Amino acid sequence: MGSLDSYLPILFLFVLAFGFTAFSLAASKLLAPQRPTAAKEAPYECGIVPSHEPPQRFPVRFYLVSMIFVIFDIEVIFLFPWAVVYGQLGRFGLVEIIVFAAAVFFSFVYLVSNGALDWGPLKRVQRVVRPIGGRTSQSTVRRIGSSSDEAA
Amino acid sequence: MSPLAALLSPAHLLAANGLVLPHVNYTAIMPELILLGGMLLLLGISAVSPRHLPTQVYATATAGIGIASLIASLVLWHDVQKGGPFSAVARAVDIDGFATLVLVLCSCVVILGAFFAAGFLEREQVQGVEYYALALISASGAMLMGSANDLILVFLGLEILSIPLYVMAGLDQRRAASGEAAMKYFLLGAFSSAVFVYGIALTYGATGSTNLASIGSFLAQNVVVSNGVLLGGLALLLVGFGFKVAAVPFHMWTPDVYAGSPTPAVGFMAAVAKIGAFGALLRVLFSTFPTLRTSWQPILWALAILTLLLGALVAVVQRDVKRMLAYSSINHAGFILLGVQAGTSRGAEASLYYLFVYSVLVLGTFGVVAVVGGRGDEGHGIERYRGLAHRRPLLAGSMAVLLLAQAGAPFTTGFFSKLYVIEASIAAHSYALATVAMLSAAIATFFYLRLVFAMFGERAGRQASVAVPVAPAGAGAPGGAAGQFPPVGTLPAGPAVASAAGVLTLERAAGLVDPGRAEAAAVADDDAGPVVADADLQVSPWVWVGLALCVGTTVVLGIWPSPLVDFARHATLLF
Repeated sequence: MGSLDSYLPILFLFVLAFGFTAFSLAASKLLAPQRPTAAKEAPYECGIVPSHEPPQRFPVRFYLVSMIFVIFDIEVIFLFPWAVVYGQLGRFGLVEIIVFAAAVFFSFVYLVSNGALDWGPLKRVQRVVRPIGGRTSQSTVRRIGSSSDEAA
Repeated sequence: MSPLAALLSPAHLLAANGLVLPHVNYTAIMPELILLGGMLLLLGISAVSPRHLPTQVYATATAGIGIASLIASLVLWHDVQKGGPFSAVARAVDIDGFATLVLVLCSCVVILGAFFAAGFLEREQVQGVEYYALALISASGAMLMGSANDLILVFLGLEILSIPLYVMAGLDQRRAASGEAAMKYFLLGAFSSAVFVYGIALTYGATGSTNLASIGSFLAQNVVVSNGVLLGGLALLLVGFGFKVAAVPFHMWTPDVYAGSPTPAVGFMAAVAKIGAFGALLRVLFSTFPTLRTSWQPILWALAILTLLLGALVAVVQRDVKRMLAYSSINHAGFILLGVQAGTSRGAEASLYYLFVYSVLVLGTFGVVAVVGGRGDEGHGIERYRGLAHRRPLLAGSMAVLLLAQAGAPFTTGFFSKLYVIEASIAAHSYALATVAMLSAAIATFFYLRLVFAMFGERAGRQASVAVPVAPAGAGAPGGAAGQFPPVGTLPAGPAVASAAGVLTLERAAGLVDPGRAEAAAVADDDAGPVVADADLQVSPWVWVGLALCVGTTVVLGIWPSPLVDFARHATLLF
């Protein structure tokens, strides 16, 4: 069974993670005093008193930023193993990683040029790619209670 | 060393293994590099240019990039013809006649696709580089699949091919159907990719390699006694490929995705996905699993029969032209499977030839559908085509040639492509399969001809053009005809027409009604006649160029088939 020994650390980490989670949950259930108040029940928003219900529309920009995060996350995933064996890869590795970084960089430039990182109220008309047919929030979203002023 | 410490010190593991750096022969992957490099360049230019560049600029650049990669592919073809096939990049890429043919084909699809896309995006007033960038990435994935000699690389190519296609399916943000198409394609595609990877894992487990040639020689020299894992791997690989080429029963996504996606994207998708997937499928089956032929031939036999029959039969009852063409593409996949199932080099040659012909036909056909669909890309009912030949003779003529070629009419490339796959099938003694194929071709002829007759047969358009001078003169006539069906379809704006449909058409022609509502009304009164405003049927010069190329290829190579046939034959000689 020698080959399975190498999986022992993974098993160990798995047990450790599972055990810690179980212990934390159980300890908080058993040890913490449970005296709920209205303030404690409210959703936590960095200590600010919540002003409206949580489920609501929020800007699609949020997804863009998370996508940018994923892109750089992936780049880092590739950079880590590259950095570990950098010495052995030599010039070949350097050139390859530069090519890879260039591809990511071009994507990033493209994203920035499309206004992916511009927050707050739009100051000027962005280089946002117009969807086919030019859809705006006025033409597609019917505000509740104003059904009379339907988009003509 | 404790196990935990071993986990935390990868350097320890490396010292034991050492690294062997592959020699990268960049000419072998030059077409892919050109497409990807060109794509990055386009993205960069679009990002730094202060104003929106017109879509024609990007289309020209894309066509130029396609021509560059075509030249690089032809150089590789020349090298292979002179010096024989070779492997590159640690034997992961195989450059032989087969691979170079796929490279050439993908380059042609990029060039043709750019023309049709330019016409469409111009009409829809879409700015931006996205469509072209995605098309270039996708085509490079198909190239990679065609020249891959390693299952891992096949998978990478599959993903590079598919992910841009998912996005292209959803590019039309105005129609919910487009988003639905993208979502369906993405979910089912991701699922099939997972199945494919599992197939790779099982194959690797059974044979100890992911290299296609190594697996082939391993299976040739060894007899796997209990081959359950190996057969399981092969079956899962076939499922993955079956999904990509839309073979029944893995075809469920096709009609919805084709109907929902922007029309030129459908043509590109249909061509490039089939090239990549069939390229890899042929190589995997022919060079890796020839020893298992008795196992995969019956599976492909069943797949081919189901695909041929279901594609043809369900297409007959479709009233939406895009859905009809989707089922027709399933039917075509069945024909290509015919050559694969034969399992001979003659079969591979016939399949390659069919792929070439099909790609050109499907790009051209969807190019015309995109034009007839009108602004908004929504009018794809068969009634839109009624009398098209009288209003737009050249457009209808091109469409008729492309449809007849798809049906397999003589003097077109479509005839030879069907002839060769059926010949290969008969040569491999699959008589039942060949009979079913001919039967399905006969059924398929029905729905191609129905569309052709709709364009040429019905005289609605001619009546309208006759009515034009009458309407102002005899002002009573349209009023009297209000109860019946007045030939309002192509009337220029005039005050005399009183019927509701007529008013709607005129309003629409004048841009007063928003196209979505007019379309809904047009669907509501269903058979009220052709509600096509002529102004809507503008054909951009880009589309004309693309159509001329498609129709020209179809007819010229249909009358004089030897160059393309020789091309396919040489491709499989060195295979």
